[in-house]
Amino acid sequence: MKKLITPLVLALVLASCSSDDDKTDNNNNNNQTVDAPATYLFTRNGENTVSYSGQSQRIAMAEELISALKDETRDEVSLDAMFAHVEGDQDFSDPDMLELNASSKNVRSKTAGSADYFSSNSTDANAIKADFDSWISSQVNDVFPNWENTASPGNAGLAQELGGSIRYVNEKGLEYNQAFAKSLNGAFLADQICNNYLSSAVLDAGDNITNNDNDVLVDGKDYTTMEHKWDEAFGYLYGAEEDETSPVLGVDSFLNKYLDKVEGDSDFAGIADDIYNAFKLGRAAIVAKNYTVRDEQVEILREKISMIIGIRAVYYLQVGKTNLGVDNASAFHDLSEGFGFIYSLQFTRNPMTDAPYVSKSMVDGYINTLMEGNGFWDVTAETLDQMSEDIAAEFGFTVDQAAN
Amino acid sequence: MFKKIILSITFSIGFMFACSEGDDLDNNQNESFDRGSLQTNLADNIIIPAYQDLSQQLGLLVSAKENFIANSNQENLEVLRNNFLESYMVWQSLEMFNIGKAEENFYHYQMNVYPTNIDEIQDNITTGNADLFNPNNNDAAGFPALDYMLYGIGDNDTEILDTYNNQDYGQNHKNYVSSLIDQMKSITEIVLNDWTTAYRDEFIASTENSASSAVNKFVNDFIYYFEKGLRANKIGIPAGNFSSSPLPHTVEGYYVRETSKDLTLEALNAFQNLFNGTHYITNDSGVGFTDYLNYLDRNDLVNLINNQLDEARAKISILDDNYFDQINNDNTKMTQAYDALQTVVVLIKVDMLQAFNISVDYVDADGD
Repeated sequence: MKKLITPLVLALVLASCSSDDDKTDNNNNNNQTVDAPATYLFTRNGENTVSYSGQSQRIAMAEELISALKDETRDEVSLDAMFAHVEGDQDFSDPDMLELNASSKNVRSKTAGSADYFSSNSTDANAIKADFDSWISSQVNDVFPNWENTASPGNAGLAQELGGSIRYVNEKGLEYNQAFAKSLNGAFLADQICNNYLSSAVLDAGDNITNNDNDVLVDGKDYTTMEHKWDEAFGYLYGAEEDETSPVLGVDSFLNKYLDKVEGDSDFAGIADDIYNAFKLGRAAIVAKNYTVRDEQVEILREKISMIIGIRAVYYLQVGKTNLGVDNASAFHDLSEGFGFIYSLQFTRNPMTDAPYVSKSMVDGYINTLMEGNGFWDVTAETLDQMSEDIAAEFGFTVDQAAN
Repeated sequence: MFKKIILSITFSIGFMFACSEGDDLDNNQNESFDRGSLQTNLADNIIIPAYQDLSQQLGLLVSAKENFIANSNQENLEVLRNNFLESYMVWQSLEMFNIGKAEENFYHYQMNVYPTNIDEIQDNITTGNADLFNPNNNDAAGFPALDYMLYGIGDNDTEILDTYNNQDYGQNHKNYVSSLIDQMKSITEIVLNDWTTAYRDEFIASTENSASSAVNKFVNDFIYYFEKGLRANKIGIPAGNFSSSPLPHTVEGYYVRETSKDLTLEALNAFQNLFNGTHYITNDSGVGFTDYLNYLDRNDLVNLINNQLDEARAKISILDDNYFDQINNDNTKMTQAYDALQTVVVLIKVDMLQAFNISVDYVDADGD
């Protein structure tokens, strides 16, 4: 009998004392469902609270840079300046009028720049930035001078696909512009999304939770800091979309494009909705101050966005393998894209371990294997298959699922 | 009877639980720690003795300077340099106390802004009578300016001494060295006198957990110092962590060259001693932030922070005494030292502040 009384008394006491503090209520409500809106549309007092112009700008900067990497009249200084743009410098043509030249943003500072992976590891971050710098430099100094020459083992130059497309490769058959562009998927975009803006170190930094709980807005803005950080993660995937409330995908050369590609593989169809819905629900959870639901969406996003990279890495290794010896220029093109997606693996985020699906040292090993000797000129089908199997196993899909 | 006791205990605990709002349990525990004893130990055994030490060192520097001005020879230059280096080492224990008159007078901006601006210094030398208290002269004053005047003004000692003995402009150079040292001495006296006459009592009485209390500001200041003054200025900026390439000319003690590592290690020791409450002169143990954390059952964090500080010390110890050479020869070791310091930043700025329930009063400028 008395055993029953105690909880009863406690319940009464709790009920009588707990209504004056929103935070306690919110914490108690952490397990209640959050209703996501139909689209990524969030307002406060009638004003749109979603903003990620900095992300749209950086994606546009990266687009111009990867195009310029294929223009053999460019010099290294101007390409470096596009990568590490300084506010006010006239580095971009800016066709979409995003005010890129006036922008204080650049891509390089957000390359290997996440809070979780690199704030205490500037040593690796510097080495990664140096890789990107070296791809620019080698493109200008090794490949541009050989623009008219035919490539051969040990010699940079052009290689023509059976269909007619011309690829410009280094002495190992690698297209630096592809290595650069595809590596940005991990080092820039996935890293910023998964390991920076979705991380507790950023979402919950300083007084973000208290301010979000109390609807304290950023000075002069309609959003809380936490809402904005979430939107910035969203912006790195959807920042080139015309209308974020109905994304069409395939609108940039980066994750947005490859999400579209993976969605088009019937083995992974549905991933695009899963990701969009997780962004929506997580954002709604922030508005509802329900951080349990928010963090569940973070886990989904980390897994699914990492999957895009893992799937495309295996896909390009397999397509490249098929073309090897038949149409080397096509094979080199595919393997160059594969090179970039493999490089990107070290920035993925496994929510079960909070580490990459494939570690930096494994990635370095794969890259070394691909570039051994004459590189793509003498890489074997067995090597590409083994690499594909290893990578697929880390993610838990099969090589066949990724290959078609 | 027995059950009644259990019931009433359960009831009281339940009641406490139910009626405390949010983080208040932590708060209550925070409030009951005797912050006053911590602040008293900081003031009486660490801060004030360090200021007194610097004041004394600067007194010696003033005498050495007078001798050098009277007779600018090699011997007097050596004595002056030694006093300079000893004062610079003591300074490493003080830069983190940016509170009271130090904060009011932008003391550390007057004492240790580097790289120093040699164009401004040359202008000041030529013009004479520069107002060294003016913020415009922050980068032409203090230890870094003196570093230039004593080591960088000529390619070798003969050239340096020739400059001071030159009939046309020697006196102007002597005047500038004199003004630099007098200004450092006088502003240090202002800060020290305030501590010993007024601010000490104010500091130890301001114990509440609020944004404006001395203890909260002090904690924020020394974390900010660790992040900016120590991690960024001494290692990160020269190693290129905030730029597209390394900036070896921005090292502390650029003109002496062989002293950068000693200055960093001294600063790190001073920080760790402050954290642990270790007395400045005697190295006796006193009430420190460690005791506060232990009181909050965060002995784990005390160990993590001390271990990581030791780890950072190990990474710094293997660097060349001369950072300029280290950066040019193998910058990776510099960034590894930076990374070890950055790991400390996370522990003190996030974990320790959460344990103390203190808000960060500054933000990094890395948003977008």
